[in-house]
Amino acid sequence: MNRRSFLLGTAGLATVSVTGLSSCSSSGSDAGSSSGGDVTLQMVESLTNPARSQVLQDLLAEFEAANPGIKVQLVSPPTEQADQKIQQMLQAGSGVDVLEVRDLTVGPFANNGWLYDMTADTEAWSGFDELTEQAQKYSKHSDGKTYFIPYGFYGLSLFYRTDLVAEAGFSGPPKTWEELLEQASKIQDPAKNRYGYAFRGGKNGNGNVVAAIEAYVGDSIDRENAFKIQSGQSIFAAPEAQAAVDTYFELFRRASPPSSVAWGYPEMVEGFNNGSTAFLLQDPEVIATISESTSVKADQWNTAPLLTGPSGKASQPVATAGWGVAKASKNTAAAVKLVQFLSGDASTTFAKENSLVPIQKTAGADEFYTSGPWASYVTMTENPDTYLTVVQPRGVAWWTEWSTKADNDVQKVLIDQLSPADLLKGWDAYWTEKWKG
Amino acid sequence: MTVLDRAPRGGRPLTDRSPAPVGPRRRAFTVRRGLGLLAFLAPALVFVAVFTYYPLLKGSQMAFQQWNLYDLRNTPFVGLDNFRTLLANPTFWTVLRNSVVWVVGSIVPQLLIGFGLALLLRKRFRFRGVYQALVFFPWAVSGFLIGILFRWMFNGEFGVVNDLLRKAGVIDTNIAWLADPQLAMVSVIVANIWYGVTFFAIMILAALQSVPDELLEAGALDGAGKARTLFFIVIPFIRTTLLLTVLLRVIWVFNFPEIIYGMTGGGPAEQTHIVTSWMINFTSQGDYGLASALGLIVLGVLVLFTTFYLLALKERDAR
Repeated sequence: MNRRSFLLGTAGLATVSVTGLSSCSSSGSDAGSSSGGDVTLQMVESLTNPARSQVLQDLLAEFEAANPGIKVQLVSPPTEQADQKIQQMLQAGSGVDVLEVRDLTVGPFANNGWLYDMTADTEAWSGFDELTEQAQKYSKHSDGKTYFIPYGFYGLSLFYRTDLVAEAGFSGPPKTWEELLEQASKIQDPAKNRYGYAFRGGKNGNGNVVAAIEAYVGDSIDRENAFKIQSGQSIFAAPEAQAAVDTYFELFRRASPPSSVAWGYPEMVEGFNNGSTAFLLQDPEVIATISESTSVKADQWNTAPLLTGPSGKASQPVATAGWGVAKASKNTAAAVKLVQFLSGDASTTFAKENSLVPIQKTAGADEFYTSGPWASYVTMTENPDTYLTVVQPRGVAWWTEWSTKADNDVQKVLIDQLSPADLLKGWDAYWTEKWKG
Repeated sequence: MTVLDRAPRGGRPLTDRSPAPVGPRRRAFTVRRGLGLLAFLAPALVFVAVFTYYPLLKGSQMAFQQWNLYDLRNTPFVGLDNFRTLLANPTFWTVLRNSVVWVVGSIVPQLLIGFGLALLLRKRFRFRGVYQALVFFPWAVSGFLIGILFRWMFNGEFGVVNDLLRKAGVIDTNIAWLADPQLAMVSVIVANIWYGVTFFAIMILAALQSVPDELLEAGALDGAGKARTLFFIVIPFIRTTLLLTVLLRVIWVFNFPEIIYGMTGGGPAEQTHIVTSWMINFTSQGDYGLASALGLIVLGVLVLFTTFYLLALKERDAR
């Protein structure tokens, strides 16, 4: 071989290598397939964090020990990119058997035909009856099919400072939105850097506005679509909605830090955690954070059930996520088995470790959930006529668009560019038009 | 052979004794040689085609499609609808204005401070290397992380900025930096200035080190003071580097949404969005059609800007 032939050969080989590299993604598609009787499942999680991934790894080890012949490979992309990665995997039709499906992603994933319908499997599974009513309800998509089984729920409760409430002369935490406004306003003292309510004006700030409206329309709310009242109108057009937003935005003006126009999750939690704010509406995962606070001692805080409206009712607009199976999986039976395992007793461990409302009926009797800050969640579960379980239309195609729009509108009200009445009109028009299609 | 006979690298001999000029022997271009060249270029060409031009073309195609993540089974061509939707959105013009404010407000102070830093770092002093490393450190940090750090620093109640201003006696009550659209824009620009100064400092320092000492000494002998040396010797000498660095930074800063996204998320009420941070909103909504259309608009704006910028420079050089 002369020098020129050698060089040409090398260049050719390099070209082939580059082309080969670019097609690597398709050659990796068999990663999850079985070989020699053994099955390796590829599982991808979405809301990742190192501690949670470790809990999941431990549970998967239990599953592997109980199911010889099935191995599970857990993929944990960074949270910010996880849903996008999962989408790419599903679109490619390979590399994923079991996946974390969120209430926000189930709509697009199912609509694109990427998820396996587990309806028949869950009907034949005895463990399904052991799930709470809420879990059973949320495992059914709007088309009646089961694309994922929730592993737990995120639901609001009121975190409050017992000492500040007592100092302000109140005998207990507020039960209604009006009482919250009264107590928070009395506690507010900017000169001492003390504020009443950790207002959410930034990302997802619309959620609490909607929670207030849903409490005010508690008597007429459509539980299957919590953005509607029973007459078919949107909740934003209901006569009670105006009083709800007036009270809610008054909370900002009279009882919240001025910069909370831009406050998102981290600022709200930090505000309560460092002792600056007396009230915080948040998910149960915050319990673990506040428990470790060095500024707020254990006897200085607690949680109370969600605030009710004038009707004496509150709606629990819960958020959820769970485990589903990819339609393109070549190991459907093993994948379903894993989902059922994770939805059984393992789900209580997972819920406890990640501060979630559990899906197993028996977990309600667990001391972990009946005492301390978790007790308010049990109270809400035990009083379904007061704390209504409702389903928000989070699976619709335009949910993220709505959320962005609604957050902007909330900030416009806070910086006086929009009136609360116009906000309601705009929201009603938005949903009415979307429902008309 | 004398020194004068020797040809400079790749050029003709300095003395010309032969009747016809003799250049370096040029190899005839043959098909075989062409194929050889192509074979060597092929890996790079394939790489660029697959990883740069294919996504670019695909993205451009999506700009003319209804391409929503919610329903990928139905992605019809919609002509210019995505562009019309964007132009009809009142936020578009706010975002465009913000992009200009963001680029100019960031780059001018970055250039001035970066220049100053580079001049200081050019002097030899003890631990100069350590100091340089410290100055250049921000460039190694992710823009999104910087956004989050500055979000806390500018927090009205717990932020260090208000704390320092209060302790210095500048303010009596806290300023809600990120709650007011104008103040929020100032805050994100301050963060970006801090971040981008480093790049200018690196580039200008490298250019300054290329200024020959003889030139500076000659200037000094002719009686040029520090200011005259700077404006009439140093700056003209490094002019090309300066102009290209500014061009690069304009393109980068225009395309740099991380700090804004981390600090304000474009708020309050979309008043601090620039084009590229607004684009993220559309991708998070799954509307890749609108996002791609916006991407093409960004591409068009930057191509136009670059063309005019380079033409203006060429014209000035010609004069």
